[in-house]
Parts: sequence; C-alpha cells; structure tokens
Amino acid sequence: MAMLHWVADPQWVIPNIIAPFIFTTVALTLFKDSTGPFGLYAVLGGGMMGMWGNTLYSSGYAIEFEKWQGTLEEVLVAPSKLLHVIAGRAVSNAVFGLTNMVAVLLVAAFAFRVSLGIADLFLFTVSLILTLLSVSALGLIFASAFVLSRSAQALTNGLETPLYIVSGSMFPIALLPFWVHPVAYVLGPTWGVDAIRLATSSDYASQTFWVGMNVNVAIILDLTVMLIITLAYAVIAAVLFKVVEKRARIKGTLVEA
Amino acid sequence: MVESASQKVSASGKAIVAEHLCKIFNVTKGMLRRNKTEVVAVKDVSFEVDYGELFGLVGPNGAGKTTTIKMLTTMLIPTSGKAIVLGLDNQRDVTEIRERIGIVLGGERGLYTRVSAIDNLRYFADLYGVPPSVRDRRVKELLEFMGLWDRARDRVETYSKGMKQRLHLARGLINDPELIFLDEPTIGLDPEIAIETRKMIKELVEKGKTILLTTHYMFEADELCKRVAVIRNGEIVALDTPSGLKRYVMDTSVVEVEGFGITEKEVARFKELAGVLSVSADLGENKQVLKIQTPKGSEIISEVQEILRNSRIYDIKIKEPTLEDAYLRLVTG
Repeated sequence: MAMLHWVADPQWVIPNIIAPFIFTTVALTLFKDSTGPFGLYAVLGGGMMGMWGNTLYSSGYAIEFEKWQGTLEEVLVAPSKLLHVIAGRAVSNAVFGLTNMVAVLLVAAFAFRVSLGIADLFLFTVSLILTLLSVSALGLIFASAFVLSRSAQALTNGLETPLYIVSGSMFPIALLPFWVHPVAYVLGPTWGVDAIRLATSSDYASQTFWVGMNVNVAIILDLTVMLIITLAYAVIAAVLFKVVEKRARIKGTLVEA
Repeated sequence: MVESASQKVSASGKAIVAEHLCKIFNVTKGMLRRNKTEVVAVKDVSFEVDYGELFGLVGPNGAGKTTTIKMLTTMLIPTSGKAIVLGLDNQRDVTEIRERIGIVLGGERGLYTRVSAIDNLRYFADLYGVPPSVRDRRVKELLEFMGLWDRARDRVETYSKGMKQRLHLARGLINDPELIFLDEPTIGLDPEIAIETRKMIKELVEKGKTILLTTHYMFEADELCKRVAVIRNGEIVALDTPSGLKRYVMDTSVVEVEGFGITEKEVARFKELAGVLSVSADLGENKQVLKIQTPKGSEIISEVQEILRNSRIYDIKIKEPTLEDAYLRLVTG
C-alpha cells in the first residue's frame, strides 16, 4: 500500500534515483584514475544506499506514514501482526531500491565507461536477493524501536549513513578503524556485499574476507554467514515487536488520545 | 449484498461485557526536569451489550468514550478491569477478537488517499485475512452497497466527505464482522449524508450485526439506540433506554430562551437560581440560545425577564424534555 502511495507521489524519485546517482557519479569522478575495483565500490555503494535507505525509510517511516494518513489505528487493530505489515513494506521497499542499482549501473556503464561484466550472473542474482532480505530483516529490528518512539524519522536519518560505511559497500572495511570491524561483521549486508562483489568481478578476490579460497566457495560461505545472521535478526525482530507492541498498547503511544 | 454474520454466542450470552475498565496514562512533561503526571482517561466503566443490539455511548469530549472503545477493540490494554468481547478475553485473545470485529473511527483520515477505493478495500481485506476467492467479490458488494462502485477506481482524495465516510463504513465491514464499533460516524457530515449513514446503520442491525456507537448527537442516539450509556469523567453515570433516560428529567421542563446580547455573566446568574437544574448556552454572534432545565416550568419566566432585562429576548418556549436534556442534566449536574 505504501508502495502504491509512494509511486503516486513523484517525490520518490529523489531518494531512489537521484541521491544514489549523485553518490555514484561523485565516486566515479573522484576515483576514475584509481586502480583496483573502484567501480565495484562506487556502483555497489550507490546500490546499497538505495536499498538501505528504502528499507530504513520504509521501516521507520512506516509508522509515521500511517500516522499522517490517519490509518495507524486501523492497521494496528487488524488481525495481521504489525511485524508482518512492516516486514512486507521493508521487503517491497528494499526490492524497489533495486531501481537505484539499475540507475547507477547505467551511469557507470554509459557515462563513465566502467566495465562491469558480471562474472557469475546466477550467484550475483542470488547474492543480491539474499542481501535484500538481510537488509529488510535488519530494518525490522530498527522498526521495533520506531514502534515505541514518536521520533522515528529523526532516528531513521541518523542510522542511514553508518550502515553504508560500516557494511563495506562504499570502501573496504580494512580502511576503517579496527574497533569498527566487529560491528561490520555482525551486519548481514556486509557478507552479502562481499558475495556480490565476488560474483561480479575476480578483481575483488584479493580483498574478500576469504582470501585464497575458491571464489564460489567464498561466495557460499558469505551467503551462509549472512543467512545465519539474517535468521537471528528475524528472531530478534519477532521478539522485539511482540514486546514493544504490548508496551505501546499499554502506554498508548500508537493511538491518538 | 453483505452476508449475514454467524454469531458465536459467548458463555454469558453477551456480545460485550466490560467490567470496571480503567485506563490511566502516565504523561511526562518537561525537558530538563521531567514531571510525571497521571491522566485518568477512564475511571470505572462497566456495561454489557446484547447480541444484535445497537448500543449507544454518549458523553462530552474527554469523557472517555473513545478510550473505552479502544480498550474494547484491543488498541489499548486497560490499566485494570476486564473486557470480554464476543466471548473472548480482550487481553488474551487479541487476534481472534480482531478477526471478528469491525471498527469505524470515521473522519476524513483513516484512508489511503492517493490510491483508489478498490485498492484501499483490497489492502484491508488482506490485512483481515479475507480469502482471495472472496475478497474481490466482497469489495465489489460493499462498494455497491455504499453507492461507490462507479467511483471505485478513483483516488480517495477526489471523494467528498460523505463518500469518504461511506468508504470508512465499507472498510469497517470488509471482514463481515459480527460486532462493529462506530465512533461518531456522522460527525461533520451534511444532514442528508448523515441521514443516509444512519439508515445504513439501521440496515446493519437488521442484518444481525451488533453495534456499539458513540455520538455527540442525542437525537441520533434517541433514533438509533436500544440503550444508551452516558459517560462523564471516565465513569458511566446512567445506562438505560432513551425513554428511561428521559425519565431523569420528567419532573422538569426545558425553558428555551432565544435572544440577543446575552452574556456569560447572565448565564452564570441563571445557574445560581434556586430550582435551576442545568443551563446550556449557545452564545453565537447573531443569536444566543439558552436552555434552562427546571421543575418550575413557566414560573421561571419572570426571573428570566429580570435577569435578561438588558438583553433583547426574541422568544421563550417551554418544552418537554428530550434525551439531550436528560444528557445535559447527567453530564453537568
């Protein structure tokens, strides 16, 4: 429903197409003379920006959106669990974020002549889809906090950029301070981005977490770790939603007085 | 047309049993020094509603009507007390209750305005788990019933107020509920649309639905409801049939004074008069109307003329008390 509403409002173009486009263009312009897989980082960074922005936006904004529409109470009192409603939004918006990926691929390929031939299309596609699910599941955990907080929009804005940086989608995690690395490793999308890069280009093999391993094995390991983390996210989100929804019904934070 | 509901009779044989419902909100104010205060929205509310009944809940703004509905519909968890809805505990059997009730909160909000009526109803049908085989047929039937089928594919933002209200009602019926909560369904509507809405409400009861209705309009409660509960300051002060409630004021008359130049000070003087049970004043710009409830009847006219000697009196009528007068007596007395 939010998707229908969103598409009906042309402002969706700004965060979904224009912002990632600008990021990718700037990155490719700044680093066009660099060696190494800089193109991968620029394109995937733009794509991740879109997916994560959409997911966080849909999770955090979902509650605010319903409040602005005046439909929150109607949705809250329906038999479908609020978790399922927001999960559906998160997944559909993460998928919608793929439009970013397409936009930045086109920019990279045609404007900057970056060669982005995909080494293994099947594994690339599987990795992309599973990363989308992981991003959605992570968004659900934040959404549970948004259920209680009337300032969800402010929280959304604060969380957007850290994930881009820490997931290694913009630049290698090795460049980040050592104390950030554990945070990166517990983020499912970090492993997904690694898998996507490996499936895209063999140039990246020297920078993966699984240096020295067969590329396909490394991808499968990445996806396995990501799936385990994503499952953990889903369980945590389910528990959190149950707890915070009950608290919201006690405190009345989701209904108008 | 909308299918009849199959009713599962609860052990008590009642559609709703509210027992000593109470809701207190903890409100925190201030940034540096946080002061916590308690707001008692509902103090102690108990009532029962029979299956197939149209039950009214009336009271002034802030009396606790909407909070009571929100507790019964599982939106809020009561601070204390118990509610059994359709034989189900409203804290333990939340999902089952939500599957079997419909809620129409009304107003212009509560609908997705940038999409069509059909998309709105399909979405809510999915939220209510209406099977796909039934969904589209029911959406069409509801839109036809509400006279909206011709505009079904138009965006809701292009609808008039009356059309939105009918779409609200359609949404509240999407899961073919046994029990429907209507929160001020005719507020803000043009008279002809309000009449149409009341007609639809009566038709729903004839089809076997149970309805709990809140309203500000006493004539509406009088026309529609089998029984009415009057709520004031979070407590029910009276519960009876409309005729029964009018007996509260049988011993009184209502003296209605229409005039110009009547001030708040003069209204206050009426309230202090011996034998005056309640005074309501509508002090408009061009005309002021006072309604004085008193057992004195015509004997009060001389006092009215004395107090209003500096104002212009257009008309004085002595009327039989209505449900509205009974309500005023109960909420202001």
